[in-house]
Amino acid sequence: MTPPAIAGAGAVWKRISAQNRDVLKSVGALAAICLFAALLSPRAGDGSYIFLQLGNLTDILRQVSIVGIISLAMNFVILTGGIDLSVGSILALSTTVVALVLTKWQPGLSDSSEIALGVLAALAISTASGALSGAVIAIFDVQPFVVTLAGMIGIRGLAKWLSNNANVDVGFGQDVASTFASVFRGKAVTIGCYAVLASLFAVLLGRTVFGRYVRAVGDNERAALYAGLPIRRVKLWVYSLSGLLSGFAGLLYAAENHQGNPNAGVGYELDAIAAVVIGGTQLSGGKGTILGTIVGTLMIGVLTNMLRLNNVDSNVEMMIKGGIIVLAVAVQKQGKRAG
Amino acid sequence: MKIKLIHLTRPLLLVTATILLAAEMISCNHASPGKRQFFVAFSQANNAEPYRSAQNELMTRLFARAGDVKLVIADAQQDNSKQVAQVETFIRQHPDLLIVAPNERAALTAVMGEAMAQKIPVICLERDIMQPNYTTLVHSNNLVIGRMAGEFIRDYLAGKYKQPKGTVVEMQGLLGVEAAMNRHKGAADVFAQYPDIRIIANPVADWIQARAKDRMTEVLRGHASIDVVYAHNDPMAVGAYLAAKELGREREMIFVGVDGLGGPAGGIKKVQDGILAATFVYPLCVEKTVEVGLKMLRDPNFHPEKEYSVSPQLVTPQNAPELYKPTGQNQ
Repeated sequence: MTPPAIAGAGAVWKRISAQNRDVLKSVGALAAICLFAALLSPRAGDGSYIFLQLGNLTDILRQVSIVGIISLAMNFVILTGGIDLSVGSILALSTTVVALVLTKWQPGLSDSSEIALGVLAALAISTASGALSGAVIAIFDVQPFVVTLAGMIGIRGLAKWLSNNANVDVGFGQDVASTFASVFRGKAVTIGCYAVLASLFAVLLGRTVFGRYVRAVGDNERAALYAGLPIRRVKLWVYSLSGLLSGFAGLLYAAENHQGNPNAGVGYELDAIAAVVIGGTQLSGGKGTILGTIVGTLMIGVLTNMLRLNNVDSNVEMMIKGGIIVLAVAVQKQGKRAG
Repeated sequence: MKIKLIHLTRPLLLVTATILLAAEMISCNHASPGKRQFFVAFSQANNAEPYRSAQNELMTRLFARAGDVKLVIADAQQDNSKQVAQVETFIRQHPDLLIVAPNERAALTAVMGEAMAQKIPVICLERDIMQPNYTTLVHSNNLVIGRMAGEFIRDYLAGKYKQPKGTVVEMQGLLGVEAAMNRHKGAADVFAQYPDIRIIANPVADWIQARAKDRMTEVLRGHASIDVVYAHNDPMAVGAYLAAKELGREREMIFVGVDGLGGPAGGIKKVQDGILAATFVYPLCVEKTVEVGLKMLRDPNFHPEKEYSVSPQLVTPQNAPELYKPTGQNQ
């Protein structure tokens, strides 16, 4: 016999839409990880839990922001049934371009206008890189994996070529490049950028026609085609957005590390894809939410922080993370079959 | 209904089990309570490099011998952001001593300043940063290594041609890194005095043997006569050797490396085997670090110097056998 209370809860659970159920499950898992992180946290000198210190919690947010921002747009790309492997290289290109403009170019403008120009140049070239991939994918109907793999290699080459293989040091002085770094490297700025972009992208996906098109293209491209949706334009847009956000993440990276680094961001595409997948978006497209992606990003961040605070061997850390990814996807599958 | 609920609880059980397993692994890492233990946190740039794993191995051994130190090593996997995050997390734990081997100079400067601001003693190991945000810096001198390499090559060429002249290929490490810059500059300063010693190519192989082999293959295709390959580390020198061997030209030139690690894969063995003509032991700097670190931990009145320099050593086939240690580090 099923006790009535549980049956009642089951009925309530059943009434929640499948998508929201997934999100609730992810949020629940995140809460569980946070709870464990707090319980397992070592104590500070004054007896408080280090994990729960405001400084530590904001550390986590700042540390996940860069990959977090990339994974927002990655979610859109994956929702259309695509993938973007070029994001790490675009990040590197953006760090390089902004650092080069700010250190090598003396246009005699005011600091703020030169910073604005550097930022715009980096964002423009990043968006253009994404748009180029998008155009090839949309117009020639080439697999996104192949096109963005080419982008990943080619754009890395461009970044290295522009910087002559060397890092472009931004420095710590009073010049315009240092001003850029000190403004953009602030914890509040980094976290704030992530929060604002996350909100914008959540609205874009959940509340706009464009968001509906993105899902429709990934859910059933043929049906979307017969329904007269602008499939090509949607694809062009999502890869452009991916380029734009990767470029933006590059700005934050350049400021945080005080350098334009053509070798930056290697493997970030995989971190971003992991966050999206853990967040419940299906690689086949069509289903997923921004909230899920944010939760996925935070899960990895909290988990990393928890393991690092407890000084777990970094190889064990990688094994645990691998396990978590499989587990997250397995849990979502289970839920689907049960529901 | 009942069946569906079971389906929902199973994944939750799975999650709980995994986290408990993780928790178990974590709790094994906690130090056993007892006498006063010092907590030393070491942020290593990249465990995957042999030089750095040798550092880890020696440091673990020396601190274990000390008895009152719990050492924790975090591996940044050659990623600046990752290393900054790891140092930040260490700062939260307020270690008694923080040792940082920076992945790159600029990226770690600010966060190490943050550690200093939190009154954590900081030892900067081997690679300098942009501002002196450390209590002390323990390093060797790459400029001296570069100069020693330049002089060795000059003497070799003078012996070969009766005067210092000839062609040199310089295989460079990761550009923008202090070691690569100074190993280049030290040698370049020597060559500058001898206009007949010509650098005919200076490819970049980012410290990596496989990449050096590819770059050297291209150089060999383009140049009919090469006297010396000077590589900024031993793996790249070996990579260049392999490229030359593949084209049957390995006897035409000599190969000079830097690092001189022990063990069968290290540079000293390669000198013994006649693959490298010479290497320069870039010291791990770990013995000095541990010595200074223990003094800082145990003696509150001890004030370390701002900088300790550990001197390099030339390894040739003559002294290689006595310097070679089959398993451990050469220190």
